[in-house]
Amino acid sequence: MLRYVASRILLAVPVFLGVATIVFLVVRVIPGDPAVAALGDYASKEAVEALRQRMGLDEPLLVQYTRFLAGLARGDLGRSMITGASVREQIAHALPYTLELTLGAVLVGALLGIPVGVYTAIRRNRLADYLGRVFSLAGLSVPAFYLGILLTLLVALRLGWLPAVGGGDAADAGDRLRHLVLPALTLGLVMTASVARLTRSAMLGVLRQDYVRTARAKGLAEGAVRLRHALGSALIPIVSITGLWAVSLIGDSVTVEVVFARPGLGKMMVGAILQRDYTALQSVMVVYTAFVVGINLVTDLAYAWVDPRVSRG
Amino acid sequence: MRRPIALVVMLLPATALALGPLAGPRAAGAAGILKLAQLSSDLQTLDPHFAATTPDRSVVDMVFNGLIRYKPGDGSVFEPDLATALPTARVADGKQVWTFQLRKGVMCHGSEGVPTYPLTSEDVVYSLQKASDKNRSAYAADYTGMTVDAPDAATVRVTLDHPLSSGLFYPKVANYSGGLIVCKKPAEKLGADGLKTHPAGTGPFMFKSYTPQERVVLVANPAYFRGKPQLDGVEIRYMPDLNSRELGLRNGQLDVINGTPDKAWVDGLKGVANVKVDVFGVGEVATLFFRTTTPPLDKPEVRKALAHALDRQEFLALIGQGIAEPVYSPVPAKFLPGGLGEKEVQARGLDYPHDLVRAKKLLADAGLPQGFSLEVVTSELPGYRVLYESLQAQLAKVGVKVAVKVVDHATMHSLIRKDANPLVIYIAWRPNADVYLTQFFHSDSIVVSGKKPNVNFAHYDRIDGLVERARAETDQAKQVQAWKDAQLKILEDMVAYPIQYQNQVYARSAAVDYGHELVSVLALYPGITEKTRLNR
Amino acid sequence: MTATPSEWRRRTRAFARNRAALGGLVLAVVMTALAIGAPALSRWDPVEQSARARLAPPDETHLLGRDGFGRDVLARLLHAGRISLLVGVLAMAVGGVLGSLLGLVAGYAGRRVEQAIMRTVDVLMAFPSLLLGLTVLAVLGPGLGKMILAIGLVLAPAFARVVHGAVLALARREFVEAARALGGSQGRVLGRHILPNVLGEVVVLASLLTASAIRVEANLSFIGLGVSPPTPTWGNMIRDGTPHLLNAPWLSVFPGLAILMTVLAFNLLGDGLRDVLDPTQGE
Repeated sequence: MLRYVASRILLAVPVFLGVATIVFLVVRVIPGDPAVAALGDYASKEAVEALRQRMGLDEPLLVQYTRFLAGLARGDLGRSMITGASVREQIAHALPYTLELTLGAVLVGALLGIPVGVYTAIRRNRLADYLGRVFSLAGLSVPAFYLGILLTLLVALRLGWLPAVGGGDAADAGDRLRHLVLPALTLGLVMTASVARLTRSAMLGVLRQDYVRTARAKGLAEGAVRLRHALGSALIPIVSITGLWAVSLIGDSVTVEVVFARPGLGKMMVGAILQRDYTALQSVMVVYTAFVVGINLVTDLAYAWVDPRVSRG
Repeated sequence: MRRPIALVVMLLPATALALGPLAGPRAAGAAGILKLAQLSSDLQTLDPHFAATTPDRSVVDMVFNGLIRYKPGDGSVFEPDLATALPTARVADGKQVWTFQLRKGVMCHGSEGVPTYPLTSEDVVYSLQKASDKNRSAYAADYTGMTVDAPDAATVRVTLDHPLSSGLFYPKVANYSGGLIVCKKPAEKLGADGLKTHPAGTGPFMFKSYTPQERVVLVANPAYFRGKPQLDGVEIRYMPDLNSRELGLRNGQLDVINGTPDKAWVDGLKGVANVKVDVFGVGEVATLFFRTTTPPLDKPEVRKALAHALDRQEFLALIGQGIAEPVYSPVPAKFLPGGLGEKEVQARGLDYPHDLVRAKKLLADAGLPQGFSLEVVTSELPGYRVLYESLQAQLAKVGVKVAVKVVDHATMHSLIRKDANPLVIYIAWRPNADVYLTQFFHSDSIVVSGKKPNVNFAHYDRIDGLVERARAETDQAKQVQAWKDAQLKILEDMVAYPIQYQNQVYARSAAVDYGHELVSVLALYPGITEKTRLNR
Repeated sequence: MTATPSEWRRRTRAFARNRAALGGLVLAVVMTALAIGAPALSRWDPVEQSARARLAPPDETHLLGRDGFGRDVLARLLHAGRISLLVGVLAMAVGGVLGSLLGLVAGYAGRRVEQAIMRTVDVLMAFPSLLLGLTVLAVLGPGLGKMILAIGLVLAPAFARVVHGAVLALARREFVEAARALGGSQGRVLGRHILPNVLGEVVVLASLLTASAIRVEANLSFIGLGVSPPTPTWGNMIRDGTPHLLNAPWLSVFPGLAILMTVLAFNLLGDGLRDVLDPTQGE
């Protein structure tokens, strides 16, 4: 088991570095001059040249790359090309908002999706099942930002219950929670659909297994058979799939953050792209990469722990 | 079952971590803090000698003073600020000298490592010299031919090589752009990069903190020379999304928001309780420039054809009456001396009324009956996008196909200064006719290739003499006439089609009282002073 | 196993009985027809502006009202459908061709090349497709062709994996070895034995990934990347409608519904096809 863990972690490192390098190269191909973007519309040519030198934009690519790697090793993510502020601080500020959103969405998705999946598996091929399946597919088909817009129109405006704007007061946990509800619900509903589908197929697969038949034959009550044995085994694929969905959620979280104006990584990334802030953009992408690699790693490990056959195989 | 519990256990600490209190300091006394939301994703710079965007200008307006200032709420009136009185000019040794006496008891804000201290002429001289240094200021061109010195700690003397009328001189030392006074000690301590995110001046509000992409927090300056501010502080929030700003205002989370130049939006807020909308000047002028060095725009008939193809009323309808008004000359007659009104322009046949038949004929005469194609970039800001997309649709009617590429605001500014667009729509406010005409039409200002490249997108060089004569003219009436003559020439050659000016649109909670009437504000926001209050 | 004619008949009947799949097919056909017929169906020009009539609510002449420039919303909706469907199908095709080629190469090539390709595929697949598409488009810049290329690149790894897996699974099968022993060339083996078996999975994937492509395009347009004005896409119509959300919500609501229905259609179709072609999965 330990060897498996070690090997997965070791594998993650080159993957992370590889993607980070690709990000570094990609970011330098983007058109637009950040020095002019930083100084604004009136600045003189000399001022712009001076800033380019200070940003290190005039240095050869290899030098910039070595600096980048060295910075990564130190945990130094550079300074914003527009404001000069530390990118690590910006990310440290934005990351919690994205983390809460992702976790909130995963929770909503799991808490709503698993029961729906179990129910539709039990009521297989009846009306509830078909409705459930179409609803699930609808959830997969709706763009997350559109759902967010609809929820905003409905809840924030007509009913005025919940704030529709921003991430909330950083120091006030209750306020943060109130600001989290709508965005997490939006993203979570999208996830509910797929969790329900996967739970359903996992349950169906398991309900057919021999040992379930044996348990039934032994005379255990139907309900007990379902809940204790089927769900338990179905959890194995569900755990691994949850990891996949957390990753896919990250993509949707970008547009949801934009719709709800949450100050998270997604909003930061879109801002960096639009403002040609190379340093911020590459650092955000590096963090996302770490996030994705990390989630995959945790999922692999969780799956291995839950299903010991994997680590031995 | 162990496994679901294990999952939950794994998730709990992560959740707690995410929700735990993190990030910046919170200003005390939240009730007295005015929250202003601006359209921007982040600040660009809070160094007043570089600040150019609306959000940045609003912050530096609250943190700094000038020797003189524009009266709060009415940008057509000058008042003393750090100086005790508006100066008058004297002639000495063939040069023009303006002398300022500084107020007593003005304190420079304390900042990191530098405690608060009294402002003296040394700071003023430092600041004006910084403003005229091209490496430390984007507005240096306005200060050529000017020297500053301090005969004593309370006196500042500005000497001009070439005399200027007060109308042209005052804006250079007012509380705007290069005239904003930066305190010497903090500026030297912070350096250029530090100043960008840690402004230190003498104004009613002091910089407290900056959270990137989120907000700037200012606190009241209890030692402000006009008195302690009624507000405890101001938070400027960066919120590029209009709906977020509007919902924030409606829900009471925000006190003042930058709206959008759109009458439909303003009308939509009319019925909302506790919300008021303010529409005020200065009107930023939107002008269309033709790059006269690019065929077929090098032919005057083609440019005139395009002018006749355009309809000012169509552009107006997009924004709405009251929010925008058509203009007929590059300098807006409504706000500045030297502008030409509709009647004046019509009398000379230079209003270029909307006439598709005439436009098509002119194009045919020029040998282009099928029209032609052009490519331009636009900013994603609504004010620009709307005009460029309307231009695209209007010119399509005479066969001129304009491909429009949308980029972010900063990139557009960068690209057009590299001469990327054959057609440029530019929305700008400049403090007087001389600055408008010099920056947009003097040959020195031609983009890329001019002696002092600025925003002469048209590559025009035919009114240099008129502009220079007007600048040197000390007789007000003759100066205005020279400016008008220059603009008549511009219209005759049709190198620029003046479209409209767009007013500022801000919405606020009914509890906000700015402390002054809103007629026009150069800093493009309602103006927050020591008199501004929240009636809650 | 290659399917016999009676197998196909059985499959078609199974498909027809699957109500959801049938619904998906019908919906997909309807949406495609509307998109193709857009010029004929809309009275109004989707790009002609009339500022004085901007934001007019729905009435008899303009069934879905007019947008911020006074353009007819219904006409724009239909024309946007053409773009969205075009992007969806072409991006899927680009991704499909690219990915399948990669998968084939990986399947037949030596260990080193195979590892290199498949590790890259793994990494790309682990990445959220939107972030990938966002980065690629940010580099390439706006434009319809670039959008198609960007989304195609994002979808390619999924095809690569399926084709690679199929090649691995089938190339080792006895009947393929037998065919080769009998003197058949690689090409013929590929054509007659491997491809038909892969076809099922690829068709399912094609449908599902078209849905994905349309959804990604909507997201990218909403952020502001993609085609330039005045071309309408459903995503940028939603975006242009957001400043007027509180006064004229229909500007954003209808394009969103269009996206939902189209993506749902292809998802239902793909699901149904999977049920029929590979009944052991899911059910």
